[in-house]
Amino acid sequence: MFLDILFMVDSFILGLSTGSACLLTCGMVMFPYLLAGSADVWRITADLSIFFLTRLTVYFLLATASWYFGQVLFMNPVVKSIVPGILYIVFAVMLIWYSISRKRQLQCPSGFVTTIDNRRLIPILLGVVNSIGFCPALFIILTKGASESTLVQSYKAFLAFFIGSSLWFLPLPLAGKIRKKKVLQTIGILATGLAGIIFIIKGITSLIGGLINE
Amino acid sequence: MNNNLVSTSMEKSFGKSLLYTLPMFLITFIFISGGKVDFSNLPAALAIVVTFLFMNILYFMMHYTGKTDKFRVILFIIFALSLSFTLIKNMMEMRHSMSFSQADLLECKIPFCHLVIPMMIIPAAFTKSIIFPGSVIGGFADISSMIILWLVATLVLGRGFCAWGCFYGGWDDGFSRFRKKSVIKKISESWRWMPFAVLFMVALTAAMTLGPTYCDWICPFKAVTEFEQISSVESVAKAVVFISLFLSLVVVLPVLTKKRTQCSFLCPMGAVNSLSNKITPFVVKIDKKACSECFKCVQVCPLFALTKEDVKNGKASVFCSKCGKCVDVCSKNAIHFGIKGVPAGTMKNFSRNLFLFVSFLFISVFSAGSIINAVQSIFKLLF
Repeated sequence: MFLDILFMVDSFILGLSTGSACLLTCGMVMFPYLLAGSADVWRITADLSIFFLTRLTVYFLLATASWYFGQVLFMNPVVKSIVPGILYIVFAVMLIWYSISRKRQLQCPSGFVTTIDNRRLIPILLGVVNSIGFCPALFIILTKGASESTLVQSYKAFLAFFIGSSLWFLPLPLAGKIRKKKVLQTIGILATGLAGIIFIIKGITSLIGGLINE
Repeated sequence: MNNNLVSTSMEKSFGKSLLYTLPMFLITFIFISGGKVDFSNLPAALAIVVTFLFMNILYFMMHYTGKTDKFRVILFIIFALSLSFTLIKNMMEMRHSMSFSQADLLECKIPFCHLVIPMMIIPAAFTKSIIFPGSVIGGFADISSMIILWLVATLVLGRGFCAWGCFYGGWDDGFSRFRKKSVIKKISESWRWMPFAVLFMVALTAAMTLGPTYCDWICPFKAVTEFEQISSVESVAKAVVFISLFLSLVVVLPVLTKKRTQCSFLCPMGAVNSLSNKITPFVVKIDKKACSECFKCVQVCPLFALTKEDVKNGKASVFCSKCGKCVDVCSKNAIHFGIKGVPAGTMKNFSRNLFLFVSFLFISVFSAGSIINAVQSIFKLLF
């Protein structure tokens, strides 16, 4: 019962916990640019809205694609339980490693976007690159999308992930005023590791369930 | 010569120590015995007398020797052991098992523990319901009395609750003293923030699932209190988590690091109590003029609450539990119990006496029931 409920909210938790790491690497690249120049409230709101909308669109596309591949590849119910179980464990271990590794990527992959000479395109491109940045959290949510039984459930998972990860970006315009940023970043990174542990448990449970049904 | 004089300044003469112990003697007598001891039940009366004398001797020794942690930890460990003993004994008498069934959950028969409090706040605010299957008023370890006790202790002691009130802390505090030297010496300071990450995750999951997720899935002390009946793959997974966390964070790592690793790296209550350190009147202060920067205090701190920078800055961090280990080890008497607003290096004796009175009174009153119960059971077993 508890696991069923937890599985409904795990996408949100994954997004929320890894969103801090995402913000750590990309926030400082993206938002100084978005807020630069003669940025008024309307422009910032418009840019942020376009950025979020693009991310949401990309996530819905990924939800559709992952669900489709899941339907094609995991036709056997036992395979549908075992393969995602293994993938969850692998990606969750990667996520934990990512959170504790000192060598974790600190360069934003979307940094190059800000060099493009088209102001209107930049929030869109930032949204696209930010959504498909290859991180363990994205692999986990793709696995979840693939293992869902209906397309609507896959959309719900990605939507929850999107909401969770987006919450971190909302207070960015106030970033300069937030004290103890380093502490918050450390807590966020550690929370990412904990999200990894949740998915390891999920993976093991899925794997055991699959093996029992075999 | 001067150093020697300074290092013994917290010690008191025998008579003065007795005088300082007298108020504690009277108050604990009233609290523990209710004003009179009924000798018709001899094991119970003896257990009360033994517990009462034992506590007051410890308090006397704190004043007489000037050492705090050395005697605090004895009571703290006995408290943890006796509480687990009492709880298990109650479970066995009530249910004939350490595990609880779905029926026990539905009938709200689960004893309340302060670790649930951080998870209760958000669901209580939004749904006006308590997400713990325990009794709100009345019965063993009911919710309301536990919350009030914790609230009072936290407001007064701050994270001092983790060294003077927590009934689990004695477990890893005890194991952290098994070896003379630590095997694992270098641990990144970033890990100190882990309880905040755990708090963040459990508060969130509890709010979304309306269930006490920490108790359901993480709490290592389930291994020595009560746990869900093994009836499914899920309950097996939970039992594995509880036992592995207990063995790793409460037994093995404290032995290897000489630190309270469960309290430092996992307990979400520790995070809440650390925040309450900001408002509590009692603090640990460092007199920079007297400090020789030997950093022995940093080395012995069981909760990673002191770094070299903290010592140089002249104050302990928010993680400090006021256990007194650093105070005991400081040969210059530079680190001491203090009161907010009073400059470091002044009123050391007054601050210590006041803090000891409040904190010791709390732990003695809080722990008395469990200890008496355990002692009484031992007497019954022996005679």
